Amino acid sequence: MDAHPRFRDGLVASLPIVMGYFPIAFSFGIAATQAGLTPVEAFALSLFIYAGASQFLALALITSGAPVLVAVFTLVAMNLRHVLYGPALMRAASPEAGTHLAWAWAFGLTDEVFGQALGALARGRRFSQSYMFGLGLGAYASWLSGTAVGAVAGAGALEGWPATSAALGFMLPALFLALLLSILSRRHLPVIAVAGAVTVLATLTISPTGGILLGMLAGALTGLVRR
Amino acid sequence: MNPDLLAIALLAGAATWAFRALPVIWRTDRLASGGWLERFVAATGPAAIATLFVAAILPALSPELGQLLPVITGTVAVLALFVATRSVVTATLAGAVVHGVTVWLLL
Repeated sequence: MDAHPRFRDGLVASLPIVMGYFPIAFSFGIAATQAGLTPVEAFALSLFIYAGASQFLALALITSGAPVLVAVFTLVAMNLRHVLYGPALMRAASPEAGTHLAWAWAFGLTDEVFGQALGALARGRRFSQSYMFGLGLGAYASWLSGTAVGAVAGAGALEGWPATSAALGFMLPALFLALLLSILSRRHLPVIAVAGAVTVLATLTISPTGGILLGMLAGALTGLVRR
Repeated sequence: MNPDLLAIALLAGAATWAFRALPVIWRTDRLASGGWLERFVAATGPAAIATLFVAAILPALSPELGQLLPVITGTVAVLALFVATRSVVTATLAGAVVHGVTVWLLL
């Protein structure tokens, strides 16, 4: 397909993530200020942690007065799944793919950026660090601006726009479904089926975070079965 | 700024960076070639996307038709547009628009 995907290609590919992140970050900004944080503090959480579910959890931990180390260990445990994304992505890229700038672009390897990058490689796009910068920066900028606008706007900003709010809220499930379709193959079906089923079971019986961790682990373990 | 909050943000952020960047910098995927670890890593991507889709769609599922219908129409729109265009961006945007329009029609 592309000879060398450029920064601009990555930015274009980030569009659905940009539109999906903004309302989520916006609602995080609102929740943070409602919890008593200043807009600057809300922005700092998005700037440094840059992981949606963890940030909402951080709000709960901070407002409940949890000790710093307990809060940090909880957040670290929640983000542990990200350790699997780099190897999965680089395995799909060519063996000689450059990584000398990974210290900068890989910070932006969120769930959605990882999914979009992996989907692009599965559709035949070549790996390039410029593309990863474009994809990552689009998503990061959306996350930071959404947080800032939400923190400044305060509660009730989208109350008069339920359909718009619903459409924006459906952006991430729609993106994951489209990504799933883009990597769907007969070889991956057992992995996908097991991951999905375990996620449902563990979410219902343990917690949403437990569902994500166990679903991912069960799917990856299914890949060990030789066929 | 609250110093505890800043410490939590910086420490959790450093850990997030390490989890995301170090496996790429160290190319840990190369350590895995040929064996069980390679099959495990290869299955991680599809497993992660399947898991994240289920985790994202689960909270939207409801026995109430008024809440379920926008999820169904949005999902069908994603499926139809992906089959027609093979474009992730087009399918995602179409799904969100159809979902929002369905909510608007049901108001």
